[in-house]
Amino acid sequence: MPDTTITLDVFRFQPDGGGHARRSTDGPTFKAYRVPYHEHWVVLDALNWIKDELDGTLSYRWSCRMGVCGSCGMMVNGVPKLTCAAFLKDYYPGTIRVEPLTYFAVERDLIVDMDGFLGKLKSVKPWLIRENEKPVDEGEYLQSPNELASFKQYSMCINCLLCYAACPVVGAEEDFIGPAALAIAQRYNLDSRDQGAAERADALSADEGAWGCTFVGECSEVCPKNVDPAGAIQRVKVDNVKDWYRKLLMPWGHR
Amino acid sequence: MTFKKSNEAFWWSLFSAGGVLSAMFLPAFVVISGYVLPNQSSADPGRAPYEHIHGIVSWWPVRVLLFGVIAFTFFHVAHRIRHVVNDLGWRHHTAPLSLVCYGGAFAGAGTAAWLLLTLPSVAQ
Ligand code: SF4
Ligand code: FES
Repeated sequence: MPDTTITLDVFRFQPDGGGHARRSTDGPTFKAYRVPYHEHWVVLDALNWIKDELDGTLSYRWSCRMGVCGSCGMMVNGVPKLTCAAFLKDYYPGTIRVEPLTYFAVERDLIVDMDGFLGKLKSVKPWLIRENEKPVDEGEYLQSPNELASFKQYSMCINCLLCYAACPVVGAEEDFIGPAALAIAQRYNLDSRDQGAAERADALSADEGAWGCTFVGECSEVCPKNVDPAGAIQRVKVDNVKDWYRKLLMPWGHR
Repeated sequence: MTFKKSNEAFWWSLFSAGGVLSAMFLPAFVVISGYVLPNQSSADPGRAPYEHIHGIVSWWPVRVLLFGVIAFTFFHVAHRIRHVVNDLGWRHHTAPLSLVCYGGAFAGAGTAAWLLLTLPSVAQ
């Protein structure tokens, strides 16, 4: 081990005892690990080192190590971060506390249960909806660079859920659809190839949808891909207000 | 998932109108009524600041504009306070909270309307 080390205080919770003779009722604990300090290491490197060298039972998700897959999100000193992008040098020489993403149920150690999010995502129908699908031999749905630019930012989301862990409304309202799913819904509503806005309207215009947002803005602060979910939600609100007055003034209209 | 229909769109539209109007007009109002007119009037002792402002305000387009800015700003504030209190933890059974916030805004807007309507015009 090099002379310099850094300590990681890691959240541990293994409901099945982790293969050891632990009672399944054992609650979560923190365990401190001393790991070698390298300037170019990120928190994920340190976790991998712990798993390889100290404790193979440590469980967490990761894949790409380059901010693309979105699976390595954790709380690092209380802030939601991609651990593959959180450098040890930014915390050295202090201790780094690593926890699972806030507001999510923990399955094991640093792994959270994403099912609730996936259900919310599905509820906004995040795919292209067409009234009539044109036959394949008529070719693609063409799009101008401007049409692409109108939603591209919102399509950069990697479902890392950092924005959920940052949002107090997510913590307070279990059914709040949440920042990423709302931004993704807006991404499809803005897509010139999509005709599904009416099908998404029930979810988006509900209290659980955009109106759950109290514009705290933390989602956009922590987003590693500059998706700006807070801005997307504001746009959902504006669209929703237009719909609301249109319905009020022209109740005979379609929507 | 089932979704609850929301009427937030209406309250939010008042909120955002109030945000836009107050951001646009309030700084100008403060500068005009708090600085420009009093200073101008002291250079022109024949005209006291109160009479000067009174003359401007009693012009009907100004009354209407003032009412718009004041009323929407009340709703802006009401909506913001309601959500801040929500964020502080009062999230369920919030009917009394909404009543106080928006009721207050209605009362404020009504008072403004009454004052502006009953303000006597001054002969210019
Ligand atoms: S919006 Fe940003 S923070 Fe939220 S899941 Fe997508 S990439 Fe992550
Ligand atoms: S490991 Fe893929 S985003 Fe961090």
